[in-house]
Amino acid sequence: MTAPPALPAKWHPLVRGFLDTPGAAQRAVHRFGSPVHLLFPQVFADNLHRLQRVLDAQVRRYRICYAHKANRSRALLRTGEYAGIAVDAASPQELAAAVGAGFTADRIEVTGPKGESFLRQLVGTGVTINVDNLWELDRIADLARGHTRVPVLLRVSGFPAAGVSRFGVPLAEVDAALAVLAEQRPWLAFRGFSFHLDSGELGERVAAVQECLALVERACARDLSPSVLDIGGGFRQVFTADADRFDGYVAALRESLRGRGEPMAWGGNTFGFHLDDTGVRGTPVFHKYANTVPATGMLADLLAAPLDAHGGRTVAQVVAENLLDVWLEPGKALVDHAGITVARVEFVKRAADGSVLVHVDLSRDTVTPADQEVMVDPVVLPGPSGAGSGGAPVGVFFAGRLCLERDLITNHKVWLPGCPRSGDLVVFPNTAAYHMDLSAASASMHPLPPKLAVLHRDGGYRVCRDIEYDPVAAVAESDRAVPGAGGRL
Amino acid sequence: MRYDHITDLIGNTPLLRLDPAVHGLPRVQLYAKLEFFNPFGSVKDRVAWGMLRDDLAGIVAGGRTLIEASSGNTAKALRILGALHGVGLRAVTNRIKVTEVRELLQLFGTEIEELPGLSECPDPTTPNDVYSVIEATMARSPGTYQHLSQYTNEKNIEAHYHGTGREIHEDLARDGIGGVDYLIGGLGTTGSTRGTATYLRKHNPELRTIAVVSERSDFVPGIRSETELWDVGLFRPDFYDRIVPVTAARAVDATVELATGHGVLAGPTSGAAYAAAREVLAAETAGDGPPVVAVFIVCDRLEPYLSYLRKRRPDLFGRTAARVPAPTAAELAAVPVLSPAQLADLDATARPTIVDTRGAMAYRIGHVPGAVNIRDDQLDDMFAQGIPFSRSRPLVFVCPVGDASTRFAALARRAGFDAMGLAGGVVAWRDAGRPLESAPAADLRG
Ligand SMILES: Cc1ncc(COP(=O)(O)O)c(C=O)c1O
Repeated sequence: MTAPPALPAKWHPLVRGFLDTPGAAQRAVHRFGSPVHLLFPQVFADNLHRLQRVLDAQVRRYRICYAHKANRSRALLRTGEYAGIAVDAASPQELAAAVGAGFTADRIEVTGPKGESFLRQLVGTGVTINVDNLWELDRIADLARGHTRVPVLLRVSGFPAAGVSRFGVPLAEVDAALAVLAEQRPWLAFRGFSFHLDSGELGERVAAVQECLALVERACARDLSPSVLDIGGGFRQVFTADADRFDGYVAALRESLRGRGEPMAWGGNTFGFHLDDTGVRGTPVFHKYANTVPATGMLADLLAAPLDAHGGRTVAQVVAENLLDVWLEPGKALVDHAGITVARVEFVKRAADGSVLVHVDLSRDTVTPADQEVMVDPVVLPGPSGAGSGGAPVGVFFAGRLCLERDLITNHKVWLPGCPRSGDLVVFPNTAAYHMDLSAASASMHPLPPKLAVLHRDGGYRVCRDIEYDPVAAVAESDRAVPGAGGRL
Repeated sequence: MRYDHITDLIGNTPLLRLDPAVHGLPRVQLYAKLEFFNPFGSVKDRVAWGMLRDDLAGIVAGGRTLIEASSGNTAKALRILGALHGVGLRAVTNRIKVTEVRELLQLFGTEIEELPGLSECPDPTTPNDVYSVIEATMARSPGTYQHLSQYTNEKNIEAHYHGTGREIHEDLARDGIGGVDYLIGGLGTTGSTRGTATYLRKHNPELRTIAVVSERSDFVPGIRSETELWDVGLFRPDFYDRIVPVTAARAVDATVELATGHGVLAGPTSGAAYAAAREVLAAETAGDGPPVVAVFIVCDRLEPYLSYLRKRRPDLFGRTAARVPAPTAAELAAVPVLSPAQLADLDATARPTIVDTRGAMAYRIGHVPGAVNIRDDQLDDMFAQGIPFSRSRPLVFVCPVGDASTRFAALARRAGFDAMGLAGGVVAWRDAGRPLESAPAADLRG
């Protein structure tokens, strides 16, 4: 018999080791209740080191601003602070969290569109404001006039052949912005240009860098002296452990959408595919799970990309010789594999169409960002009462706890080695990047799951509340304790 | 030979037997079907003409514009064929990755619509795959466009059935070869392999058809990876005996081998097919046995892919030839370095030649007054020929932070120049509060 279609998840060895430690997950749930989010700050530190190695090899001066929006965890934020990097805060609350975690103003950048009250709060603090629009720029100058000079970056958007963005100053308005920056020089300290792209396309990033370099020259012509090029975030994650099996699953899913083979989609879901008489076409909404290029590879390729407008000199070369510091704002790349979510199986039932529904005690919005389908298989662990689930492989849908027809945690069928039983634990892999927080609501008065931090130390795992985690105690140990990918614990 | 119309030159391409001493497959008669002999340079000329010919009069009469999913050869052929009759082309594509290919399309006045990269958090109600965009564009302005649809149009296959396949068969039959044992070709729309193999199978039902695809998430222009083929309407996975993935690196190596070993100056897709042919045939014809006849399709010419090849194998493009040996540690240590103040003094007294080794933009924005700009890579090339500066003046190199300048100064001193570096580079000069001279970019003047 061939193995059923599967979406095997990639695991960081440290997380794998935790799940392989008998009773570890069960003890955490027993102590703190279910469901819970578990965070692994040492994995965050590991991701950070990998990005730093890429940057060290190619650029002289850079700054990593952790995009805090990826996860509310204080443990991860503290880990970034302790490692000496900067932070990208996108709301007054994130700013407060960053300050509370020890970031000083010179290591804080505020991004995203900001309203009047947030701007009033920011001016005078010394944090760098990454300006989203001309209104903001004018307001900052007004608020600063006469008493302070505000460091600003200018976020630009609307690059050729890129998707239209609702953020940033369109290229056509940059001259107007430069005029303001030049006129209001006593109150605005212009640091440089910034962009952030939502796609993983290398060519698009290279084009954006090239446009920004041209803007640097235009700014210099106005005697502004930009010293920063902020290339934003968007460095991708790798979710799958086996791209071929992932492709195999998608192939089977497409066949099932055409009515061939076993049904694999809940209800009328088509995952963004278009069905017509020529078949199943288009790009599925979950295409990011097919990615195999890690953030480090994307970053290295970007820095080494030749620029047409610069005689083929690379991004890293042109940036260096123009004395620009590279800033980046990785969110998901830093928290990749640094979190999992554990829920409990309440019961298993059958729907009228014969589908097996595994009900768990959390809802879709707690493990999926912006309602996106998550295409990596959860793992089922025996519950606190022990005893494994047995029997033959079974294809199931995971169902959530809300009174909403659409509260399915998976709209695609997941094959498990055996049918789960009440009390078993379901572990959702790699949920730290936006999955935990972006959409989670407290509908039906369900509280948000607590966050715990897991520390690997002395060959074992310690679990504490996320807010109590102290990287100072962890870090000396971690250099030894964090195994590389593929390493064994 | 004389012809009355360029379309008369489409098809009837040569079939070249490759020397077994070069391809190294003793039992195999390996033939290359040289599709780059088509007038616009590729295998797609047949497809474009095959799809367009019957509808052309109607398109012209209706004043319609062609719309097609293509970023390469099909767009080029359709654009030219259309242009001959005053018909325009809108090419809708994911990002065109090969510069020269884009420039050719631009040169001929193609309207190019490049779709943005996929969002990481896409909205399923706003699809941005090429086919949906074409459908939406056509729905918005009914009667404006004609979509020939190379990925679903059976005429794509027929053009190769009646053309490529038949020609191969007839050329070999004339030589007394009754059947082809292997057909190897890259899969883009899948039309060429399907049409050709279907014809050849009529004469040898045992024909093995080997499809060549790019390795997953690697890029070989013109062919797709296996998963990308799921979106191709004409793709029939069961049609092929084997589907062989080839990495871009292997395709590039084989492209160079085809040129230097056989005189076949073909693009990377053909290199991929040649690599796959050798891999499969070496395995399947090992040991003794009857002779085997194999044909692979050479899709297009090499020249438009220079930038693609350079990106993947910069080592093959010059700069390795005559490079002066790097300076020794002792030579580097012996280089006199100037502080910004010393350079200013020298400039006032000895009329030094100051060379800024950075790129043009950095030079334009601000350089040591009086410096000339010769980029480090250009200097390296020049030094291989001799050092082009006056010996009667001191020579000072300036770079961003002072490392490259020391290297060039060491090489110049080796050749007997009175050469020095600026310690700490432009950064030190700027930080010392010295003036920088700027040279506005050409397009910023006026
Ligand atoms: C301005 C900005 N920077 C950085 C990020 C972080 O992006 P990522 O998590 O994709 O690295 C975001 C994400 O929304 C953003 O909007």
